[in-house]
Amino acid sequence: MKRLSLHPLTWWIWSFLIAISVARLNSPIFAIASVGVTAAIVYSQREDAPWGQSFSWTLKVAAWILAIRTLIGVLIGVPIPGTTIFTLPIIPLPHWMPGIRIGGAVTVERLSSALSEGVIICAMLVIFGAAASLTSPHRLLRVLPIYIYEFGVAVVIATSVLPQLVTSVARIRQAQRLRGQQAKGFRSYKRLAIPLLEESLARSLDLAAAMDSRGYAFSRKRSRYRPIRWTSRDTVVMLSGVLVMVLT
Amino acid sequence: MIKFSNVSLVYPNSTTTVLEDLNLEIAEGELVLVIGPTGSGKSSLLRLINGLVPHHTGGILAGDVSVNGLSTREVKPGGLAHLIGIVGQNPINGFVADTVEEELAFAMEALNLPNETMRKRVEEALDFMSLAALRSRAIATLSGGEQQRVAIASALVMHPKVLVLDEPTSALDPIAAEEVLSILQRLVHDLSITVVIAEHKLERVIGFADRVIYINGDGKTEIGTAAEIMKTSPIAPPIVHLARALGLDDAGLSVRDMRRNTQSIRETISITPPSPIAPGTIPVIEIDQLTVTYDVKPALNSINATIFDNEIVAVMGRNGAGKSSLLTSIAGVGSSTIGSVRIHSMDSRKLAGNTRRELLGYIPQEPSDLLYAQTVAKECQQADKDNEIEAGTTFNLLEQLVPGISLHTHPRDLSEGQRLGLALSIVLSSNPRILVLDEPTRGLDYEAKKNLTRILIGFAKTFNRAVVIATHDVELVAELATRVIFLADGDIVADGPTIEVLLSSPAFAPQVSKVMSPVPWLTVRDVIAEIGEKP
Repeated sequence: MKRLSLHPLTWWIWSFLIAISVARLNSPIFAIASVGVTAAIVYSQREDAPWGQSFSWTLKVAAWILAIRTLIGVLIGVPIPGTTIFTLPIIPLPHWMPGIRIGGAVTVERLSSALSEGVIICAMLVIFGAAASLTSPHRLLRVLPIYIYEFGVAVVIATSVLPQLVTSVARIRQAQRLRGQQAKGFRSYKRLAIPLLEESLARSLDLAAAMDSRGYAFSRKRSRYRPIRWTSRDTVVMLSGVLVMVLT
Repeated sequence: MIKFSNVSLVYPNSTTTVLEDLNLEIAEGELVLVIGPTGSGKSSLLRLINGLVPHHTGGILAGDVSVNGLSTREVKPGGLAHLIGIVGQNPINGFVADTVEEELAFAMEALNLPNETMRKRVEEALDFMSLAALRSRAIATLSGGEQQRVAIASALVMHPKVLVLDEPTSALDPIAAEEVLSILQRLVHDLSITVVIAEHKLERVIGFADRVIYINGDGKTEIGTAAEIMKTSPIAPPIVHLARALGLDDAGLSVRDMRRNTQSIRETISITPPSPIAPGTIPVIEIDQLTVTYDVKPALNSINATIFDNEIVAVMGRNGAGKSSLLTSIAGVGSSTIGSVRIHSMDSRKLAGNTRRELLGYIPQEPSDLLYAQTVAKECQQADKDNEIEAGTTFNLLEQLVPGISLHTHPRDLSEGQRLGLALSIVLSSNPRILVLDEPTRGLDYEAKKNLTRILIGFAKTFNRAVVIATHDVELVAELATRVIFLADGDIVADGPTIEVLLSSPAFAPQVSKVMSPVPWLTVRDVIAEIGEKP
């Protein structure tokens, strides 16, 4: 499918509307469906740029959160009666913590409620992650008003440095694999974190210095070289979001 | 145009002064070169000019810096944006827009210039920097030289009076560097822009400089014409070392002058070309029909080569010629490869853990990618443990390679050269059969490069090892390599002894050989070995 050239705010607005629908409907099936739709949009519409690659990381993070959320939801909490799948040993807690239990019977009801809550949280995350990877952060900055300078700088740094980090991660992992280190497991993340932090800090400082010395936000007003226009296509995409929200 | 009056600079938590009582006036249309060892404060000096130091970095500044009458004490960097264009060490880190055109317009938009002015100036800059064909390209897809040109163009649209560049050619191949420098030369001569450059590779820039500022690292500075500074400076390009070795009065700044001065030497000497050093007989790397593709574009087309032990092979070529692809394939981590690379008859892709460490050492473009511990000591211990060698071995190695590094330093606080030394000693502690280095000389000064050359030659000779090094640095290749593989657009276009390959291409010929041609000498060492040092 051909890539549509849209206003940088369009996908953000659309994602916001879909996220509201997901939260309002509170249905895991609708959440999964909307994740499917956004994923399809991302894979057909994303640019061949660092932020375009960041979506798969969003998915990974979401999967982790879902797993941890479900595990905790099953282990800790108020027992829900129903069909028991299996029973875990109950860890005794002091008497001043009534009503809370670790372990015990895991029922279908309890598992499904933990899962569906997790799915909805993760769906929201994925939907916003999709907006971030569909929109060029640089273009986004150009449409943001100038008086939110600090915010603008932070947005540019976060959104342009972070996705570039995805490329850095691959590079650093490769280098460390060449040092004969295992690329799996928790320890490998620790080894990754330090060079990564170092690099992102250096990059952010470079970028902030460059923006500063080029006069960013020096003038209260800002002219447009090629104004970014809101077109009918943007309205269509936005209306589709509104429609979904109204129907749910 | 630029005036430093009694400028001293100290960074907080630092015991050394970066600059001490610097007085300097740079006139309009002057090209000034800043030189000094790594970490001596060249970048700080450049960033003082538009007030990034101390407004952005902190630090205590005494005295005053003013540009065109505006003091950086009173005006912030943004207020000088119309006057000073600054191009950082890694332009890619400073880009704010997606496409070339938008990037050029960025600063003008920020200063609220009217649309017609912007259109006109963008066109001007595109033409001036020969970027018109790239105007709507995404910046991320441009080559290093093109990115450098975009960075300069986006400074030029502001019609600045001063242009400040931090190591503009260090990441570029000789041809791209030549392009960038000739553009700067044109700016100075046609538009009378004042240009201040910091650069390590003096052989590329010294000929263009009107004046040179030498910073020695403990606050002292020397200012003079290139010829004056080059008489005594310990940091000097090979051609100056040649002039000194031959005892010439002339400092030796250009190949043309040096050829005139050495005519008699060339005429009286008739030597037979030195016989190339014989490589070993054991093939250690066998590359067979190797093809690498990125997306759909081939990075390497069916390459064949065999590298023997005791060889130091330099892989050269323009940016994007496939050097890194070749190196990652040798290391066995390249993606989408067809064909095979065998290291001591083992498939390089299947190496892992200890076998990998023993067979192959790899230094990536950013040596700090390998480092993750909090102190030098912990890094060394980890390497000892990984290789199951006696505790302290790695640190001893480090002491030999780069003496004087404290065990408690954080690897991040080391200079570029020291960090490379640390990465090298970690990799060499397992005594690998093959050492692969991807452009290790970015940001290294002459001293650090000399050190690197000594280490690598020592390693190859002592243990009969093979070294493969990708680099743009012609002078390093001349000093170091025994064989050169020259890549162009994914093909090997030349493969042979260093002397043959380097002498056959004028763009990639080292300075000494340009001076001494047709006598086949590559380095000052070659010349001295043949005719002896003059007092």
